[in-house]
Amino acid sequence: MSSTARGVAALFLVALGAALITRCVPGSAASLNLTGQGLTEFRTCTITATPAVTTSVRDASVRQGSPGTNFGTATTDSIASASGANRRLYLWFDLAICSPAIPASATIRLATLRLFVSALPSACRTIDVFRVTSPWTEPAITWTNQPFGTAINNPPSASATDTFTIGTPVGCQNRSTSVYVVGANPTADVSAYVSGGATNLGWMLRDDVEGSSTARTETLSAKELGSILQAPQLVVTYATTP
Amino acid sequence: MRPPGLRNVLLAIAVVVPVNAVLAAATNLDLAGGRLGAASVSITGCTSAGLSVLSNSSGSSVVSVTVASLPASCAGATLAVTVANGITMGSGSTTVPAGGGSVTVNLGSATAITTRLETDLVLVGP
Repeated sequence: MSSTARGVAALFLVALGAALITRCVPGSAASLNLTGQGLTEFRTCTITATPAVTTSVRDASVRQGSPGTNFGTATTDSIASASGANRRLYLWFDLAICSPAIPASATIRLATLRLFVSALPSACRTIDVFRVTSPWTEPAITWTNQPFGTAINNPPSASATDTFTIGTPVGCQNRSTSVYVVGANPTADVSAYVSGGATNLGWMLRDDVEGSSTARTETLSAKELGSILQAPQLVVTYATTP
Repeated sequence: MRPPGLRNVLLAIAVVVPVNAVLAAATNLDLAGGRLGAASVSITGCTSAGLSVLSNSSGSSVVSVTVASLPASCAGATLAVTVANGITMGSGSTTVPAGGGSVTVNLGSATAITTRLETDLVLVGP
């Protein structure tokens, strides 16, 4: 074979090789295997009643025994069932301070109210959490002018957003002092507040059966106590993707 | 008259050029045909449940975060947590144990508690 012919043959083989290599590249791409790794994202906004003068959180008890007195600056909050001396707790957290803002389209996975317990009743009591639907202010609310009125056991327990139990007996959800209560999860309310389905006017907590002949009282730390480790909190966990 | 060797070289080039042109066209057709798109996969999370997220404090700062109610389907996943108060942030990660449950993630640096804290959680895997 002449040198020219060998050169042509070599050139042809190079061209053929290049052609084969080029053909292999799209072949590999077409059979590309992709494997997915699970990815789960959540975001939590924790609103804490600190400092004591913050206006982003409001907490105030109202007392039937002192119907015209405002307790918005008290260092403790309380809920009680007692004949003629019932107490209710009003709470509000400004969801708008969350940054980044919770999107209206977010899915609220869980909302938890956290209240620090300083005293428990000796009986296990059920506490109801109700969505408030009328305005109120921390420095003005009293038993007399509270959004739900002065009738006891109103609104009815069946309309509560959530309930939890508290007291020293075995079987009660919350049996200890100096810890935050568990079991108060107004998730549906926060969903409505965030989506715009309801106006955020906070919550009212009362004993499930007001008017007990034996006084049953739970005492909780108020924001005005100024203890960052005992301040009322609202923890909202949400997802921005379905 | 051109020498025979040169004619052969030109002939080989004439063959190679069309071959490359055809191959280039084929490559374009593959991509336009959506073959790569056909290989895509969807990414799903291990849970859509309501995880309980609580900050653990020391003094006036968050030092760790406890995430509870993790289902067994998240076992083996890496849980990464970041806590931010708008000024400073702390982050950490851990692996969700078998069976799920509750895990505590220690933050690399404490984050001062302010009126609002943002906690980002990402579960990667399993």
